[in-house]
Amino acid sequence: MQEIESDTSANILGAPDEDGVALSDGERGNNTCVNLPQIAKTHDLALSLEAGNQDESSLITVQDLPAIQQAALNAITTAGDSRILDDVRVAFLGKKGSLTSILRGMGSIPKEQRGEVGRVVNETKTVIESALKKRGEELAAQELQAQISASAIDVTLPGRNFTIGSQHLISRLTAEIVDVFRGIGYQVHEGTEVETDYYNFVALNYTPDHPARRSQDTFYVRDLSGDKTAVVGESDVLLRTQTSGGQVHVMETQKPPIYILSPGRVYRRDVADPSHLPQFTQIEGLVVDEGITFADLKGTLDYFCKAIFGNDRKTRFRPHYFPFTEPSAEVDVSCGICGGSGCRFCKGTGWLEILGCGMVDPNVFGFVNIDPNRYSGFAFGLGVERIACLKYDIADLRMLLEGDMRFLRQF
Amino acid sequence: MKVSYKWLKTMVSVPDDISAFADRLDMTGTAVEDISSTGATMDGIVVGQILTKKPHPNADSLWVTTVDVGANNKTCNDSSDNNIAGNNIAHEPLQIVCGAQNFNAGDKVPVATVGTIMPNTSATEDKGHFIIKKAKLRGIESCGMNCSAKELGLGDDHAGLLILPKDAPVGMPIARYLDICDTVFDLEITPNRPDCMSMLGVAREVAAIYDVDFSLGKQIDEPKLDGKATDCVKVVIDDASRCSRYTAAIIRGVKVGPSPQWLAERVTAAGARSINNVVDATNYIMFELGQPLHAFDLDTLAKDDHGKAQIVVRAAIDGEKFTTLDGIQRTLSNDITVISDGNAILEVNKANFNNNKNLDSVYRSEDNTSNDSCSNENNTDAICVPQAIALAGVMGGLDSEVTNSTTNILLESATFSSSHTSRTSRNLQLFSEAAGRYERGVDAATCGDFAQRAAALIALVAGGTVCEGLADVYVNPKELPILNLDCHRLRRFIGADIASDEAVAILERLGCSVSRAANDNSCANDNSLDIYNVTPPSFRPDLEREIDLYEEILRIWGMQNVPLTLPTGAGRIGLFSIEQIRSERIGASLRAMGINETMTYAFASPQDMQLLRLPVPKDQKAVSLLNPMNADQSVMRQSIIPGLLRSVAYNLNHGVNDVHLYEAGVVFSTSEGRKLPRERKMLACVLCGSWHQQQWNETARRIDFFDVKGIIQSLLRELNCQAPRFKVLESKIEANDESSQNEFWLQPGRAASVLVGSLQLGWVGEIHPLVLRDFDVQASVLAFELDFNALLVAANAKREYKDVPQYPAVERDIAITLDTAISCERVEQVIRTAAGALLYNIRLFDVYKNTERLGVNKQSLAFALEYRSSERTLTADEVDKLHNKVLRKLTAATGGKVRGSEDGSEDGKVHENEEGRDDDRTAKNLVENAVKNVAENVLGNIACDGEQSVR
Repeated sequence: MQEIESDTSANILGAPDEDGVALSDGERGNNTCVNLPQIAKTHDLALSLEAGNQDESSLITVQDLPAIQQAALNAITTAGDSRILDDVRVAFLGKKGSLTSILRGMGSIPKEQRGEVGRVVNETKTVIESALKKRGEELAAQELQAQISASAIDVTLPGRNFTIGSQHLISRLTAEIVDVFRGIGYQVHEGTEVETDYYNFVALNYTPDHPARRSQDTFYVRDLSGDKTAVVGESDVLLRTQTSGGQVHVMETQKPPIYILSPGRVYRRDVADPSHLPQFTQIEGLVVDEGITFADLKGTLDYFCKAIFGNDRKTRFRPHYFPFTEPSAEVDVSCGICGGSGCRFCKGTGWLEILGCGMVDPNVFGFVNIDPNRYSGFAFGLGVERIACLKYDIADLRMLLEGDMRFLRQF
Repeated sequence: MKVSYKWLKTMVSVPDDISAFADRLDMTGTAVEDISSTGATMDGIVVGQILTKKPHPNADSLWVTTVDVGANNKTCNDSSDNNIAGNNIAHEPLQIVCGAQNFNAGDKVPVATVGTIMPNTSATEDKGHFIIKKAKLRGIESCGMNCSAKELGLGDDHAGLLILPKDAPVGMPIARYLDICDTVFDLEITPNRPDCMSMLGVAREVAAIYDVDFSLGKQIDEPKLDGKATDCVKVVIDDASRCSRYTAAIIRGVKVGPSPQWLAERVTAAGARSINNVVDATNYIMFELGQPLHAFDLDTLAKDDHGKAQIVVRAAIDGEKFTTLDGIQRTLSNDITVISDGNAILEVNKANFNNNKNLDSVYRSEDNTSNDSCSNENNTDAICVPQAIALAGVMGGLDSEVTNSTTNILLESATFSSSHTSRTSRNLQLFSEAAGRYERGVDAATCGDFAQRAAALIALVAGGTVCEGLADVYVNPKELPILNLDCHRLRRFIGADIASDEAVAILERLGCSVSRAANDNSCANDNSLDIYNVTPPSFRPDLEREIDLYEEILRIWGMQNVPLTLPTGAGRIGLFSIEQIRSERIGASLRAMGINETMTYAFASPQDMQLLRLPVPKDQKAVSLLNPMNADQSVMRQSIIPGLLRSVAYNLNHGVNDVHLYEAGVVFSTSEGRKLPRERKMLACVLCGSWHQQQWNETARRIDFFDVKGIIQSLLRELNCQAPRFKVLESKIEANDESSQNEFWLQPGRAASVLVGSLQLGWVGEIHPLVLRDFDVQASVLAFELDFNALLVAANAKREYKDVPQYPAVERDIAITLDTAISCERVEQVIRTAAGALLYNIRLFDVYKNTERLGVNKQSLAFALEYRSSERTLTADEVDKLHNKVLRKLTAATGGKVRGSEDGSEDGKVHENEEGRDDDRTAKNLVENAVKNVAENVLGNIACDGEQSVR
């Protein structure tokens, strides 16, 4: 049992009582020490009660009340922890407690004295209860404090693992880009990776002899249907070289207004090296609506570049050629490293090429029966790997396909 | 397309600021891919004269030379002033060690002095520059370098030093002496601009951009004329779809020899090698005017009795053999166009010949004397056709090539079909400057004029006389289209205020003729005034429609001037389809469980499925590529797992032992008769090692089957799928195949198929050790591969609300010892059936195996059952009754022994379910005892003395 320090006792006595009035030591002393003997004398009662079935010899009488009260208060003050305090409560107020014994013996007290005795006993009980409560709170606070002190830990120890897996950089960027366009009303369309020559080239207005069809550039797939092509080593079936074919599928099945984004894997016959991959990810966008202008195309892509690269970036449009758009342009975004003044990253130009775009060529509308006199539209295509390179300066694109945990976990 | 700035400057006025010029080209549609300088970076290279030449004492192939470089002579230590302008340092010859063999003392050569940055490196490529330093070569000090042509960036000749003419002034900067300060732009000419594949075209484009005049620059004098071309050669075009115009010029009496320097220089600047004056002249014209030319040695061609040669443009015959000038004999097909002479000596099987209908008619219609020379005239199975002398537009023949002894030339200037030329070069893998130009399209309108300029040039540089005129066949000259230009519509389409007169001016600068469209009625409004008729020039075949004019106007007017706006169309909404949302959720769930998304190659090795031992349905074939990058990537993958296993191996090889990867991607298969293959999106996952490394408060638990199974269960829960079933997956290979156990991609006994209802989702399990061995994976790997779309189908969009339980549950445990052969799923099923609707939850909390205590092949399963009614509080009695029924049925159905019923004493020791319960009980007792003791003490103290002495 622990020793109770004197200042703790003072605290108990000085603590507010049940009426909320704080009593000084003296008052508390008067209350308890003076009144009880008086009551005993006035009524001159000799209470002889059995303490309990077990212990017939110990009789407690009303004259013992002051002593009981004093003993209880002493015990309460010295109770070193709440468990002992509870024992004290049981000893005095419990079923077999000393005060309870007196109350239980009330039957044997003359009727006319019962009220007075009951009042005195109850007063004693109240005093004890109040002291118990105060000491109880005191001890609870002490014990909580002790418990808290004992359970202090080194908060700098490492936390437990709740490792969340990472999203692949390319799908992360793809999702980011898709989100940008979803915000301005685009929906997503996904196509197949193996395409026919028709969707990849013909319906996109490629001439039969366009250099992109060369087997140096396009992966041709063995056609098991038995069809033959004019050029040895080429086929009617190929790995799509662009997601632009998605345009044709969408326009075949949907009527304008069309605002779609078509992300997906495409293939070109490049040897895998730090800056090339034979498979990469492209996002194609297509808008067909009434009154679409080249200015709309510029505004849309400028918005996109700012959303992805930051508000301080500028765009520039350079005329270019794509078979399926007219007029066509390539879009550069100002270099984020030098801010446009020219550096090693942008090869001194101040600009980084990021995508190709243009107004949908009327010939393409012709393949899908959309009236070019009523509708106009624009299309754009961007390489996600290229954007990844520009945003993160990835030294070797092949890292994207290795599955190296140390790489993947960075994004 | 390589463009020499020096050359261009002779044709059109261009700004001196090279980067501003390049920017302007970029911004008007001609991308500048590279800018390289010749001459400009030759500071420090001067004309030197070899004074002495002695063998190197320590090396057989090296020479020690002393070289006089005039005012640039300096001692090796004097590297402080590298300025070629010269200073007052005493003229002292340089000692230079040299490996070349082709020089003598007295020769004049280019000398790179110490400090020179060698020019033969591209300006925009970030390669390290080679700087000349003082060095010791095999013990002899060398203070500079005697240079070859290649080292100066002037050609490919690296065989020896560039020997300069005797009169070259010693000390003069080589760039000034050779007049080779030039900048070469490498321009990206887009496929729609065949006209820009020439200096003329680029000059014209530049003139349009800057609104200035241009000219051809180089004046070529009228040649001496002698005879008529039409008297020397007759041209027949057999098939006009292959050749719309063919012209032949004749030049007689030429002397083949080296080109004059200006010619060699220009041809080199354009990216060709200088060969001889005739070939260089034809190349020059091609670079200058864009017209590919071919020079035949006229004397090698067959002549008729009047000495007249014949040129026939015809389709090749299938199987026809022809030796191109590179010495390779090629087998031709009907799609290839050939030029043949009148020499009909080629024997062709009649069957093949009959397929050549056009030729048949042309050839028979000709009263062709060369038939006489056919040796096999009377053979009815064979027929003679004229001998091919060139592959049209692609490559000449070995036999008719211009050689040093050639004196008479037939010069071809023709327009061959772009598609035939393109296919021919693709089929024969022959790509040349000429074929590239034909592929884009050559202007038939000008090919005659250009032929005459070429003939004049040949006569100029190789001597001789030109026959007047051309043998010229021009089939159906194309009429130029007249296009409408509606400027009002132009402005509406671009969204920018482009003035009509500006638009018209731009088109005129580009060579179009523009006139205001005639008003056909009186109700003319402002719009009709803005309509023009535009005739594009013949060299712009890409201008076919009004829209093409818009592009021309826009690019010259300036895209940068177009404002930024957003489409204003109403009625669109950006959203994801339910499948897209689910796909997102699948990825997010797997990542939430700690798995990293990856991507692998969609290409695969044809051996992958054998190595993986994953059976493929017999009718399914791998999708194979006709032109793979390499054998290991020659088919499309049929499973994502091989790629992921390679990533596991990669990680293990790099010291990363805990690997958690998933990939969602397409797999491919096809069957005989199919055009497009099947594409199936799959979701695959591989796990290896532990979830994390050993921590101070957590052990590094190895990932096992139940991790990967749990992932699938959690994923399906997240998708609101019905709970999946995991069925034991066994090798289905014939029983008589003893190796069947080893021909399975998963470890038997640790493999399950995953089903939702009757829907097959895929499989899960531990990869077979032999598969791991074959993929070089040195650790066990847990994996699954599920059909992505099946997952989407199994997902359930509708989520139903159920009341949370209102009444308390009653818990009862079951521990049953039974054969290990009886699956947990079966036991649970029996319990559920027996317990009925009141069984709210069942949870397996322990599996105990102990051969000594339970016996061989026995295990004890311990379940916690939660009984609960949604309508009332269950009484202990009814739960006991129900629970006893469950126990009875369970033992009856499984033959198991319920522990605790007969042998209760051991129960608590075997399965320590909710161990806290026992502990709580103990703690309670301890507390009670303590209180009792304390109470006694207190009372005792009170009884004794009432003093505060509680300790």
